[in-house]
Amino acid sequence: MTRKLTRRDVLAAGAAMGSGLAIGIRPLAAQGADIVLGGSIPLTGVFAFAGVGIHNGIQDYLKIVNDAGGVGGRKIKYVAEDTGYKVDASVAAFNKITGQEKVSLYYGDSTGFSKTINPELERRGTILMAGASFATELNDPKKYPLQFMAGPDYSEMFGILLRYCAREQSGAKLDFVYSDTEFGRDPIAPSEALAKTLGLNIVEKIVTPPGSVDVSTEVLKLRRANPDYTIFHGYVLAPIPEFMTQAKQMGLRSKFMGTFWSSDNSTVQRMGDVAEGYMGVMPYRYYYDADGNSPMLEKIRQMRPEYQSTAYLQGFTTALLMCEAVKRTLAAGKELTGVNMKAGLNSIKDFDTGGIFGVPISIPGNSVSVGRIYAFDSKSKQMRPASDWIRLGS
Amino acid sequence: MRIGTLKTDYAADEALFDTGLQKCLLALALAGAVLLPFLASPYWLFLACLCAINVASATGLNILTGYTGLVSLGQAAFMSVGAYTVAVLEIHLGTPFLLNLLAGGLTTALVGIAVGIPSLRVKGLYLAIATIAASVVLHFIFSHWALTGGVQGLSMPPARFFGVTMDQPFQLYWMIMPVTMLMVLGAANLFRTRVGRAFIAIRDRDISAEVLGIPLLRYKLMSFAVSSCYAGLAGGLWAYFFRVVTPESFPLVNSIFYLAAIIVGGMGTILGGILGAIFMTMVPEVLKFGAGLVTPFYPDALALLAPVRTIVFGALIVGFLIFEPQGLAEIWRRIRRFFHLWPFKT
Repeated sequence: MTRKLTRRDVLAAGAAMGSGLAIGIRPLAAQGADIVLGGSIPLTGVFAFAGVGIHNGIQDYLKIVNDAGGVGGRKIKYVAEDTGYKVDASVAAFNKITGQEKVSLYYGDSTGFSKTINPELERRGTILMAGASFATELNDPKKYPLQFMAGPDYSEMFGILLRYCAREQSGAKLDFVYSDTEFGRDPIAPSEALAKTLGLNIVEKIVTPPGSVDVSTEVLKLRRANPDYTIFHGYVLAPIPEFMTQAKQMGLRSKFMGTFWSSDNSTVQRMGDVAEGYMGVMPYRYYYDADGNSPMLEKIRQMRPEYQSTAYLQGFTTALLMCEAVKRTLAAGKELTGVNMKAGLNSIKDFDTGGIFGVPISIPGNSVSVGRIYAFDSKSKQMRPASDWIRLGS
Repeated sequence: MRIGTLKTDYAADEALFDTGLQKCLLALALAGAVLLPFLASPYWLFLACLCAINVASATGLNILTGYTGLVSLGQAAFMSVGAYTVAVLEIHLGTPFLLNLLAGGLTTALVGIAVGIPSLRVKGLYLAIATIAASVVLHFIFSHWALTGGVQGLSMPPARFFGVTMDQPFQLYWMIMPVTMLMVLGAANLFRTRVGRAFIAIRDRDISAEVLGIPLLRYKLMSFAVSSCYAGLAGGLWAYFFRVVTPESFPLVNSIFYLAAIIVGGMGTILGGILGAIFMTMVPEVLKFGAGLVTPFYPDALALLAPVRTIVFGALIVGFLIFEPQGLAEIWRRIRRFFHLWPFKT
């Protein structure tokens, strides 16, 4: 139902904004019994391609929950700010939102923000936080006791890919291609060690500037190494298509793989003809997946008939896990503190996410170490399952 | 209408603020700065601190680019040197924050001198490219050196001052704002000295300056040193403010941000650096209130208006460059002139 905007509304809103702008006067927050989920969301900037999906995913899950009566009878209110994927803007948004609302849950947009805000989270002790980052460093419950991630960390993603490679081809030759960033370098050292234990042979490591275009020198290195599998990390799209194009032109038979942010179906489609056979590790089922029982995906498809990205599913799933943590905390009769909500989250064992994760999940620490390998089928223009669900540590 | 300022001694002639009104406004601004932490929410205090850090850095760049005419796109990299120095000292030695800040400023000044050497042979765009190259080298060092924590960077403990932990915007304000005020005051005074005037002479025409007896080598490097020192101090403040320093904390786009700040504010004026930094920091935040205004009536306004906000911000900058090329400082001067001559027309 829409309500007509009157001149009085505009004047009232203007007055409210003016008084909000006046230093020191905090806007009146709708306190009530609502539980607030704040968010530093990158709706603009270099990460906007994911931020918009994340934003929609969070909103949609909260709509489902609130339409069903909320969590323990309490509605979840979502208050977000755009950050442009800048740490200072993210911290400003955090300060703004927590200054206006009694925030219990928070979504952060980057590794930098997660690290920066961590001391403040611990000082407050009232917020459970998750975000867009799958950084290995954040998957440490001692250092980041009030944070989690709705999927495997980057090292675990590599772990899933490496286990797949080891199962498919014993003693396979591998090449890691990664960007010279914190994001790119994140899983490399632990994955080298894991590859050794799995009997895999890393024949080359290639570092490129992020988003580089001319990769001809690097492709020559790749040709010399002639790996069975080439794993990309630290990119969204470029230079992956260029790498694959040149490598295929040189007759390389290597299989190409990537991690979460380079494995969205629309991203892989944009790689063009060379995308055939490209493999990605994914903790969630894709939007269109019809195999198995996935009522939650069905709900998403009803709410949004057009394709939704894996970033959307990440936001949706993060909100789902946050709400589950709140539900368990309230059910235990405990106060909604960061520690209690994290304990509630960690009590999740063999939990069915409505088919978003293909298997029941447990969260003993800060991550959900489950994933599956998908491969791109250019006929259907879809990432299709190439393996069973792989759980680490089992 | 003000028809003149009577000065009866040399001290009055040398005073930075020479009229009663200026002194009153200064006193009001100082009183406002003192009262702000007690009135403002953490959000506004956070923004005030961020503005102050950006003012400090923009003022440093203004000394180099606005006053000496040496274009630099290395300001963010210089800030990173100061930030890392402070972080390393705080983590490994636990020395007092004022000492760490000074060390950060001095270390960056030395790096600035090294980076400034090409300025003796090149200027303009060529020098800008040289400073970008220096930024790349510094980024490489920081992301590969164990001391700086590699690509993961450093997480540092908060500053402490007489037993008070400075980890909240309220406490940090009392660190950042006074240091920035001293830096701005220092810069304002610099251009009333022989050194500052030499910088201006070099900017206006370096060959003429040399003919006048100004050693270009010494003064250009001195300008780089002072400017870098400012950047280092600002970087040090930034490190205490965010307490996480990584190679990606100071990207090239930040250098462009500071250059844009002094252009929008008005190059070659202290006030320009201040106004420009505040404008560039605050306008994106203030524009967010537009989305907040519409959200009660249109819930998805945030997602819809976010790109619009970016476009408006960009358009504002372009508008300033076209319609007010002298920057915000010129608008302020016009306002002052209006009141000086009132009731007559300017």
